[in-house]
Amino acid sequence: MNEEEKEPAPPHRPIWSGSISIGLVNIPVKANPLVRDHSISFRLLHVRDGQPIRYERVCEHDHETVPWADVGRGYEVRPGEFLLFDKKELDAVRPESDRRIRIDKFVYSLGLDPVYFNSNYLLLPDKNPEAYALLLAAFRSEGKAGIGRITLRTKEYPAIIREYRDALILTTLHYRDEVMDPRVLEELNSLKEPSKKELELAVRIINELSGDLDLSEYHDRYREQVEDLIRKKMEGETIRVEEPKAEEAKELMAALRETLAQMKAGQS
Amino acid sequence: MEPSPTIEFSNTGKVLFPSLGITKGRVIEYYIRMAPRMLPHLEDRAVMLHRFPEGVDHEGFYEKDAPAGTPSWVTTAVHHSETADRDIHYIVCDRPETLAWLANLASLELHVTLSRVGNPRVPLFAFFDLDPQPPAQFPEAAEVALQLRDLLVEAGVRSYLKTSGKKGLHVLIPLEEKYTFRQVRDAVHSAGILLSRRSDRVVHEASSRAKRPGSVLVDYAQNAAWKTMICPYSLRAREEATVSMPISWQALESGARPEDFNIGTVSSKMDDPWRGILSDRQEIWTESE
Repeated sequence: MNEEEKEPAPPHRPIWSGSISIGLVNIPVKANPLVRDHSISFRLLHVRDGQPIRYERVCEHDHETVPWADVGRGYEVRPGEFLLFDKKELDAVRPESDRRIRIDKFVYSLGLDPVYFNSNYLLLPDKNPEAYALLLAAFRSEGKAGIGRITLRTKEYPAIIREYRDALILTTLHYRDEVMDPRVLEELNSLKEPSKKELELAVRIINELSGDLDLSEYHDRYREQVEDLIRKKMEGETIRVEEPKAEEAKELMAALRETLAQMKAGQS
Repeated sequence: MEPSPTIEFSNTGKVLFPSLGITKGRVIEYYIRMAPRMLPHLEDRAVMLHRFPEGVDHEGFYEKDAPAGTPSWVTTAVHHSETADRDIHYIVCDRPETLAWLANLASLELHVTLSRVGNPRVPLFAFFDLDPQPPAQFPEAAEVALQLRDLLVEAGVRSYLKTSGKKGLHVLIPLEEKYTFRQVRDAVHSAGILLSRRSDRVVHEASSRAKRPGSVLVDYAQNAAWKTMICPYSLRAREEATVSMPISWQALESGARPEDFNIGTVSSKMDDPWRGILSDRQEIWTESE
């Protein structure tokens, strides 16, 4: 694989360990998150004294702070009327995490609509790397994905396991009934057919703008600006709060400056 | 030079071309991008705005006078209109900032005079406006344009072509700055008469009697001081967001159509078939000579 394409290794913090079972074979694995969220998080502070703020659970009746030990779960039957459950009652019906991903069958994963994809996890060998290597080689040679189920924390998910860049990855899926069918929406059913001319024009624009997919063209511009703010603040610069203005208006000013610079360069 | 002014772009999300979902932001972006191509045709001419603040499916309005709130950095030129008996403060779009500002006013169409603002009685161009009369459409206008080209080639004149962005075509001859509009109008008119003798398709008078259905009018009437034509690369207020596009004669012969040129397909990087037009000033035949 091309060295430049490699992303830095994800932190080794398995969120799950267990085994993949296919028929009578068990392959021990541990799962790490494959995707890292790069968003910058902020602590909430009290602006007057700069001290951190915390949330408290406060009883709406007597305004006393409630310790976790006294917190139960209420299911709202009617507004303001609850059925009370304690943790033990809910735990009793929780899907049993048997620490096993049972593969029911093998499918071509490209046949699965991406709208069902939920989260990606990297599966790493646990104890028995030979079994993992064998499974990986078999997946790669067949180009198929195994589909089965996994229980993560309190929820059971359908999931697929497939080969990705010399590793096995697991992708949890949404249930069929969790994904809305847009055809039920009246506003979509009442759309009028575009005229042939309109469609031809729209198709022509699509063809003009067609290109190869390259995700590296996209980056989180908000995060970059926040990082820039952080850097300036650390260097002691005062941040001037600009009038709230649409991002697009700023981009247009930038485009205008660029055109001015180009025209200036063209003249000299 | 003074620093570049800041323009308060407003309402950039407002959709101006509803069938294509094109917003004012995209229109502004188009005009900024096309500024290098458009400014040579705008910088010393008066511009008339055709504004569509509610989008192309609502009625727009023409504006000759610089509107209230025109920034001080925008160049204007005063002309005393005898017909209206008042001063008109024309906008002169002589910098990219003005073009961007006009776009922010939803001035989808920019119409320019055929003479310099400082020398309004001396035409820079002879202007042929080929206007198909329904049911005639663009192909009929193209047929007549090619006949006009042949006529002009015989006369030893180099001509330049653009789509109107609607159904018509515009043919221009850049001129030495020594004629009157009267002379140029007569010359364009006589070319129209000649063409109509060669082709049944062509009519040369704009009277409703002469404009018979299915013909193509070769209109000379815009060759007059303070009259305007749609600026090259200006958008047109049509749902397809077409552009009045300079094209080569070969492109017309090989079947170019007005819909080929729109806000999404036109860029300032494209070949310029009008390169050098402003310095290609020519002599023109006149009846009086």
